[in-house]
Amino acid sequence: MRIAFPPTSRRALPLLAVACLCGLALVWSTPLWWMLVACVRTIPYGSTQAASLVPDLHPTAEHFVDAFAQGDFARWYLNTLIVTLGILMVQLVTITLAGYAFARMEFRGRNLLFYLFLLQLTLAPPILIVPNTLMIVRLGLYDSLPGVMAPYFASAFGVFLMRQTFKTIPRDFEEAAILDGANFAQMIRLVLVPLARPGLIAFSIVSLTSHWNEFLWPLMVTDSPDKMVLTVGLTSFVRSAEQAADWGLVAAATLLVAGPLLIAFALFQRQFVNSFLFTGIK
Amino acid sequence: MRVMRRIALAAALTAMTAGAATAATRIDFFFPVPVDGALAKEMQNLVARFNQENPDIEVTAAYTGTYDETDIKTRAAIKAGKPPAVALMSANFITQYHIDDLVEAFDPLVRAEGKAPEEFMDGFWPALVGNARVDGGIYGVPFQNSTPLLYYNVDAFKEAGLDPDRPPVTWADWLEDARKLTRREGDKTTRYGIMLPGTYDILGWTMSALTLSNGGQYYNPDWGGEIYYDKPSTVGALTFVDDLVHKFKVMPEGTIQTPAMNNAFFGGQVAMIVSSTGSLSFIRQNMKVPFKVAFIPRNVRNAVPIGGASLIIPKGNSKERQEAAWKLVKWLTSPTVSGGWSRFTGYFAPVKAAYELPEMKDFIDKNPDAKVALEQLAFAKPWFATYNTVAVRKALEDEVQAMLSGKKTPAEAAKAAQANADALLKPYVDATALNLPK
Repeated sequence: MRIAFPPTSRRALPLLAVACLCGLALVWSTPLWWMLVACVRTIPYGSTQAASLVPDLHPTAEHFVDAFAQGDFARWYLNTLIVTLGILMVQLVTITLAGYAFARMEFRGRNLLFYLFLLQLTLAPPILIVPNTLMIVRLGLYDSLPGVMAPYFASAFGVFLMRQTFKTIPRDFEEAAILDGANFAQMIRLVLVPLARPGLIAFSIVSLTSHWNEFLWPLMVTDSPDKMVLTVGLTSFVRSAEQAADWGLVAAATLLVAGPLLIAFALFQRQFVNSFLFTGIK
Repeated sequence: MRVMRRIALAAALTAMTAGAATAATRIDFFFPVPVDGALAKEMQNLVARFNQENPDIEVTAAYTGTYDETDIKTRAAIKAGKPPAVALMSANFITQYHIDDLVEAFDPLVRAEGKAPEEFMDGFWPALVGNARVDGGIYGVPFQNSTPLLYYNVDAFKEAGLDPDRPPVTWADWLEDARKLTRREGDKTTRYGIMLPGTYDILGWTMSALTLSNGGQYYNPDWGGEIYYDKPSTVGALTFVDDLVHKFKVMPEGTIQTPAMNNAFFGGQVAMIVSSTGSLSFIRQNMKVPFKVAFIPRNVRNAVPIGGASLIIPKGNSKERQEAAWKLVKWLTSPTVSGGWSRFTGYFAPVKAAYELPEMKDFIDKNPDAKVALEQLAFAKPWFATYNTVAVRKALEDEVQAMLSGKKTPAEAAKAAQANADALLKPYVDATALNLPK
């Protein structure tokens, strides 16, 4: 992996800061390391060995065998992918258009409307369970994947982010495009969207991770086992409020949920970091 | 044109009625899994069996998380006009469902079969009737039930010079045994005498068990507006627990998570725990050293609350769906199914007749711990249920957690819990007992 710092500033970086960063990285990565170690280890109940970070010499696949025997993973992964990508596709269109409207267009009540939009961010999602369920039933989407997706098609956070992104782009680009004979749709698609890409990528990460990990809403609005998403499916056999935790199974299950996201992040790391640097989100 | 339309209409009608005659009634059934994931799979198997035996009904079993999540989902679904035909609901939520008018009474369904509701309830253990009947109507049919039990490590008893066949009977014995069982090495405690579960829900349940054993009633079983957190029976129970932690140091300080408690029991870091009979199968399968179970010790009398869940039929279902739901409820609580579920889970079977079956008698003979759980049923009382049960329960749990971490005395905790609970109950009290003729 290439390091983004040019050689001179890298040398100038004080040793102390590097040590601090290493310490932080260690703290952050310890749970991940534990997960990797524990998911392939036989852990008897009540054994203090469960907390050990030293890898075992005799790795076992029993927890994964257990997990796959108990769950319909192909279905759960597919449903989660449909839901997260489906939400994202629609969101990218709605937030780009709404973000543009709030950033560039002049209309009465624009600011009021924008603040009302932002107010939505202050609502705790569980409050909306009943009204949202009601709406989903009226739309005939109860117990379907579109029903899981629908409430997220518009995103206040996304609109806010895109509005800010568009505001940083000089108007000259748009004016030049219009002068060159581009119509409105072409101007958005060919000029603004490429320039706003970092903002769109940053939003995509937030959207994908939050919907990938979401549990309560999919549980509320689906009934059939074949509509289960990954999080709901996993809790159906991993969670145990009254029991001792089966740490090996918990670790294996966590890896199965978090794994795809971790891999995706590792693959696209550079684009992600660059996009955050550009948007100023840290 | 008009003729054409009539023909189309007639054709459509015929198609519809024909469809209704052949298609099965489709209903859904919400079930939580509070104990063990393997149960979710077993429940799907049960429902598949029901569907096979009843071709006219097609049940979809929906896993709905914990008891609390099942409650949220069921309420949302009812409000949205999509109620499940049957839901498995924590037995102490049923009072609230009745107060909110969200649940159907079973009485008409029972009467339609020429049975009296009393006769129907007689099939269940008497302790379960209190939570199933509200204001004279049957609103829940018990499906899986439990009581708290004392679990203890036989080897630890022997090592401490105690007789494992004579578990503590009174609180005095309990404390004395706990002191002998606690093992310290320097400043470090390597084995605690007792642990009580501190997780929400089971903490409130455990505290009510101790209050009942202390002679208390805990709540007004006939009317959902009163809870007795600051009465001597409750304050005594709180003080006993606080003393175990802070005075005698035979129980660790702070909130003990239930899974951590079970893990400590498996690992020998604690000698006695209080846990649900619903955990019996799980502990039996995973405990490597011998253990036994006993009644919850008493200070004044032997008494424990029941726990577990009942089947309800939410309002808003058509007659046809209600009848299909009733069939499912009857099937799930038949002696054979009920007994099988009991052997699989460790919950006791709510239906008395289940214990007359040969396979059940055999099971009890082979598992004396299941027998203890069954015998304790004679001393069981209903589970506390009030208006706004969950919040009222948490009012005490938050204070007990503060007490366990040494931030409050038992008296302060009891007083604060009572004040908070009273505030939560006020709307219902104002609408009922204090709603006087003017």
